[in-house]
Amino acid sequence: MDSAKPAPEQKAMEGGEQEALDEMEKKVYKYSRGKAAYLGTLRDKKLKGQLAAREKLYGHSAKAAVQTEKWLLPTEGGYLEPDDEDLEKTYRYQQSSLVGEVDLSSSRKPFDMILPLLGPYTLGYTGNGRYMVVGGRKGHVAMMDMLNLELIKEFQVRETVRDVAFLHNEQLYAVAQKKYPYIYNRHGTEIHCLKEHGKSLKLQFLEKHFLLSSINSFGQLHYQDISTGEMVANYRTGLGRTDVMRVNPYNAVIGLGHAGGKVTMWKPTSVKPLVTMLCHSGPVTAIAFDRGGHLMATAGVDRKVKIWDLRKYEVINSYAARAQSLDFSQKGLLACSNGSQVEIFRDTGGQDYKIYMKHRMVKGYQIGKVLFRPYEDILGIGHSMGLSAILVPGSGEPNFDTFVDNPIETSKQRREKEVQSLLNKLQPETIMLNPNMIATVRPSRKKEKKTKKEIEEEMEDAVETAKSIEFKKKTKGRSKASKRAKKREEEVLKAKRPFLEQHKENDGRPDKKQRVGDEIELPKALQRFAKSRQ
Amino acid sequence: MAGTNPRGKPKSRALVASAAHGGKKKKGVTGGAGKRGDRRGGRHGPRLPTALRRQLDALGPSPSGGSDEDEEAGSDEGGHDVYEYEEGVPEEEAGKNGRYDAVEKYEYEFDSDASDADEDVPSDEGEDMEEDDAGEDEDEEKQIRILQETTGMPREAFDGGKKKKQPLELPFQPGVGDGPVTIHDLLNNIQGKPGYSKLRKRLQQQEKKPMVVQAPLAKVEREKLERSVVYQQSKKEVTKWETLVKRNREAPTLYFENDLNLGVNTIGAIASEFKPRNELEKKMAEIMHSTEMMEAHKNDGVKILELNKIDVEDVRERQNRLAKMRSLLFRHEMKAKRIKKIKSRTYHRMLKKDKLKAASADFEADPEAAKEHAMKQEFKRAEERMRLKHKNTSKWAKRILKRGLDVQDEGTRAAIAAQLQQNALLTRKMNSTKDDSSSSEESSDDEEDDHESEANILDKGKEKILKILGDDNEIPTSGVFSLPFMERAMKKHEEATYEEARLALEECDESLRKLEDGNTKENGDSVKVTGKRTFGPVKNTNKETSKKQKLDEADKNSDSEYESDSAQHLDDNEINKLDDVQIGTALLDDDEPQDDLFKSFDDIIKNPGPKTTVEVGMLADNSWKKFKSSKGNGGSNINSDIDKSTVKISYMSDQKLKQLDHNSDSDSEDEMVEGLLTISDAKENYKIPSQADLIRQAFAGDDVEAEFEKDKLDVLNEENPEPEKPALVPGWGQWTDIQHKKGLPSWMVKEHENAKRKREDALKRRKDAKLKHVIISEHVDKKAEKLLARNLPFPYTSKDVYEQSIRMPIGPDFNPAISVAALNRPAIVKKPGVVIKPIQYEEVDPHEKPDEPKRVIQRAVPNPKAKRTSAKQAKTIASNKRK
Repeated sequence: MDSAKPAPEQKAMEGGEQEALDEMEKKVYKYSRGKAAYLGTLRDKKLKGQLAAREKLYGHSAKAAVQTEKWLLPTEGGYLEPDDEDLEKTYRYQQSSLVGEVDLSSSRKPFDMILPLLGPYTLGYTGNGRYMVVGGRKGHVAMMDMLNLELIKEFQVRETVRDVAFLHNEQLYAVAQKKYPYIYNRHGTEIHCLKEHGKSLKLQFLEKHFLLSSINSFGQLHYQDISTGEMVANYRTGLGRTDVMRVNPYNAVIGLGHAGGKVTMWKPTSVKPLVTMLCHSGPVTAIAFDRGGHLMATAGVDRKVKIWDLRKYEVINSYAARAQSLDFSQKGLLACSNGSQVEIFRDTGGQDYKIYMKHRMVKGYQIGKVLFRPYEDILGIGHSMGLSAILVPGSGEPNFDTFVDNPIETSKQRREKEVQSLLNKLQPETIMLNPNMIATVRPSRKKEKKTKKEIEEEMEDAVETAKSIEFKKKTKGRSKASKRAKKREEEVLKAKRPFLEQHKENDGRPDKKQRVGDEIELPKALQRFAKSRQ
Repeated sequence: MAGTNPRGKPKSRALVASAAHGGKKKKGVTGGAGKRGDRRGGRHGPRLPTALRRQLDALGPSPSGGSDEDEEAGSDEGGHDVYEYEEGVPEEEAGKNGRYDAVEKYEYEFDSDASDADEDVPSDEGEDMEEDDAGEDEDEEKQIRILQETTGMPREAFDGGKKKKQPLELPFQPGVGDGPVTIHDLLNNIQGKPGYSKLRKRLQQQEKKPMVVQAPLAKVEREKLERSVVYQQSKKEVTKWETLVKRNREAPTLYFENDLNLGVNTIGAIASEFKPRNELEKKMAEIMHSTEMMEAHKNDGVKILELNKIDVEDVRERQNRLAKMRSLLFRHEMKAKRIKKIKSRTYHRMLKKDKLKAASADFEADPEAAKEHAMKQEFKRAEERMRLKHKNTSKWAKRILKRGLDVQDEGTRAAIAAQLQQNALLTRKMNSTKDDSSSSEESSDDEEDDHESEANILDKGKEKILKILGDDNEIPTSGVFSLPFMERAMKKHEEATYEEARLALEECDESLRKLEDGNTKENGDSVKVTGKRTFGPVKNTNKETSKKQKLDEADKNSDSEYESDSAQHLDDNEINKLDDVQIGTALLDDDEPQDDLFKSFDDIIKNPGPKTTVEVGMLADNSWKKFKSSKGNGGSNINSDIDKSTVKISYMSDQKLKQLDHNSDSDSEDEMVEGLLTISDAKENYKIPSQADLIRQAFAGDDVEAEFEKDKLDVLNEENPEPEKPALVPGWGQWTDIQHKKGLPSWMVKEHENAKRKREDALKRRKDAKLKHVIISEHVDKKAEKLLARNLPFPYTSKDVYEQSIRMPIGPDFNPAISVAALNRPAIVKKPGVVIKPIQYEEVDPHEKPDEPKRVIQRAVPNPKAKRTSAKQAKTIASNKRK
């Protein structure tokens, strides 16, 4: 017995170890950020040695990161998990029953605020998820501390409020009002009126770049640096009015959904959209980006919700559903609102999104905006009769990094973070589709040749200007008509010359002059007198 | 004579010998070769007396080439003593007789057998002797061995016998003298001994034989050989370092941590170590360190410390005071700055007035200044009276008056009035100035604007005039005035004054009107208030201007307003249509003036103060509301208008959009404001889409795709333009018909095809080539280009390798603390002040693993393994090379 027992145990232990090792390897792979280049092809031994040493260091670093992970990421997110997959469905689970199951602090988080008077509400959260700003269509603006459920400031702007957005922290927020967006501070004092933006419909703030971007009713996209006040960019989309706008958190590229079913992606340093995708056959109603930046969800009037892979620009999945508003949570849950119903989808592996939860508001409430609260399992809903928050287990990131976002930061920490983030501010040029491109080698660009037509046009222009030169009046017969004509002719020739030369260069015509002697082989005796070809 | 068998000797041996000689000269640093050379040197006949040699040989363990190794290692064999002895002899010799001059040695050193042959005769003979000796030695050796074997007695016993033999030969040596010992000498010695004849015969035979002497090698060859030897040597030296250097090269970081303790070098430390050296310093030190001084210093210090005691309260008070002063100063400064920046004319005028007032106060205090001022004023007044400069006497004023003031524009009228006023001021009688000035001062006190003050003055003047006019001048009925002619004259005079007063009044009115033209309303009011009598032309103009203004406003409104003012919309549809046509930017541009206008409308009534969001918004909206409600059904009309326009802009149905999002502002704007009133609007606005809309929506898809394809094609054409069609060069080959027949020249066609192919390739290479529904812009962002590397950084030759190598961030935010330092360590770690010494030799195992974390080049305590000899060896190599 004694001898028999240890064997399977050992095996089990080995199996366990193996598993742990595998997991470790996976994590190490994650932290080593891809594979090292194959050094076998390198000829330079020194470089090879150096790179090998570097790689070894990277490996150590990744391993150390994995080992510290269990201390730094202590909690794991949970989900609603059915006991029996076939019989139980998670989406049948109601909020009321859910609230009873969760812990006390979580059970206090969901709420329903009925504010029937001041119209459909929109909302925004700070990056750390602690504060919420809400905007009622009819001018009601309020800011709340969601940790303590305290109202910080509430006021009436007596104008249409179309959108609200926090800037880098809760101290400032922007409100898109009837004519212009305004910036208020946490006490509700108007700080700025951003007249240049015009009648903006949607606001988005790019945190790392300190850019406030807006799309106005004429389809103009504005980027304004809120740290310097400089208007960084102002582009006409030329695709009509839209209020479907989202920023991709991965690369800070802004996605716009248009009436023609197109989704365009913009950066502040390019006049043309980086990418134009035909996503729907009707107008696009909503758009959302995953935190990783590789997934995009769009919804259109054509009763479709599509999920796209932004690396390949291909549809991953397409569902028949309506959605007025979409949002990805930090953990990748996708919320869609349709009328008075919210549906939440979850990736069941392989980007196969299945319905995870359903929530139905009181009939007649029209949901305007759904937004997941960062670092909490909460989905905020702004609807025509006020605001709601529901519990969505597994939506928020369970561990927060205080260097990135701190939901429970003190004012001192907040100040320090503000300074730090200002120091680390990224320039608008750094926004690009693939931010990993930075510091790589610039692709070689051919010098574009001008076409013949262009050259001719330029030449004509030059000739015209040469002809129109007024000559000085000179005495003693030097400005006779004949002399003038001659001079003019000379001028024209002079203007033409560079273009003619260019023309010749561009011509594919072989050179007429053939070099004699190059091809002819000289007799050996004479070869020594031939010019050496070098 | 010599050269018995020099040819037979292996070259290498000779080489070694020669090299050894060199080594010996340098006191034999390298072991083996040098020692071997010594021994060989010893074998050279002429250098040692034969007897001695024999003795030595007898002592030596094995005469034949035997164990070189043993000797090399300087081992503990019996030969040790012999070695020492040998070492000594050649040195002495070199010291004593100058036979070994430098040149000779060189030849010995590096030459082969040929050089041997080249040698002097004596040495050759020596060689021969050596041969013979060797033979004899061998015989003796054999003999001894046999004896040893048979008797079993120690070797020394037999050697002794041999030693005894030696004295026989020794006495001859001094007889030979200094000259070299030849074989003949030796032969003579053994004359009559057995075997002598045999030996002599052999000698003779040898002598008879023709001598073969190898020609010396050419210098080039010789040097080549030399170099090869040196090369071998130096190679050995250098290869020794290879592993060490390799290891250092491969190390990611080198540490130079010698002299870790750099010693105290603070100023205090240096000062403490200071010792007086010269006279002055010594004297100073004496004074400084004298007990009295020390004492005094000590006491003084204590006193100072006592004085230093300050109350906390005092300090706080002082701080507060200072802070207050500072803040006051700062505030003052800020104020001054602000004031300095003010550009308002009115403000400056007021400032001037204030200054004047202050000056007048000054005058009261300072009689001198007052006097001067009075003088100045008097002068001015006198001048005015004389010149009448301001009394419409100038050509300009006359012309204007001639044309009539009514026709003039406001500016001119104002100028004229101002002039007159100045005149009035300057020509006022001194006595009357007192009360007038006081009144004017009063007025100027509470008035803000100069215009207004002027107006006031004018008003007052007018009132006075009116009073004069209104007064029925009672003519005294008694006295001189009652006389009829007097009466007539009085009447005339009265009439004249009346006329004058009327004129003056008119003037006043005009100037007043001009002053208050800005806000006509008040103007009208004031006219009403002040004027009991009204004057035709004045009123007319007033009305006219106000009308005009209204018209203007109306026009502006209708032009600029688009969606807000329903009344306007209803009024002029044409304008609205115009708007519809050119919606794009025009709207945005119009937006602002419209806004301004609104403000001006409302703000005229209310205070135009700083905008507090709530109040102004409310007020504005209230007014709006009323306005709108009065126009009942206007709203729907506008809506339809807007709808049309938006439909024109975006080809998709607008209504659909509207129902999708509540944001489209056409409805929102109207429904907005005062939640209570307009809550139901949103729901009412919902319309069932018409059949046409529904159809359009249903078939929207096709349209969209076609459109997108077209767009994509446009983009492609823009980014990769199509090549131009080949065209004939004008005038080239056209006047004959050949060109037409032949068609285009082949090169042109080819070029065109090339361009086409290129374009197609480019299109294929595009990222969106295979994606039908995607356009990916290939525009190069010039601003972002600065963030990319222009070309591959130096050591890299492959782009992939480079890009992979930068994939990992190395900053502290992305790596655990333990690996950050290693990732960011520089290639060389060295403290400032550490002296980098030349590298020291150290045994390195070439097969050791190179991932030792630290590669220390220079230790605080020198490495025990390091050998000091290395430098020396390097030197020998260098010297060898020189030779």
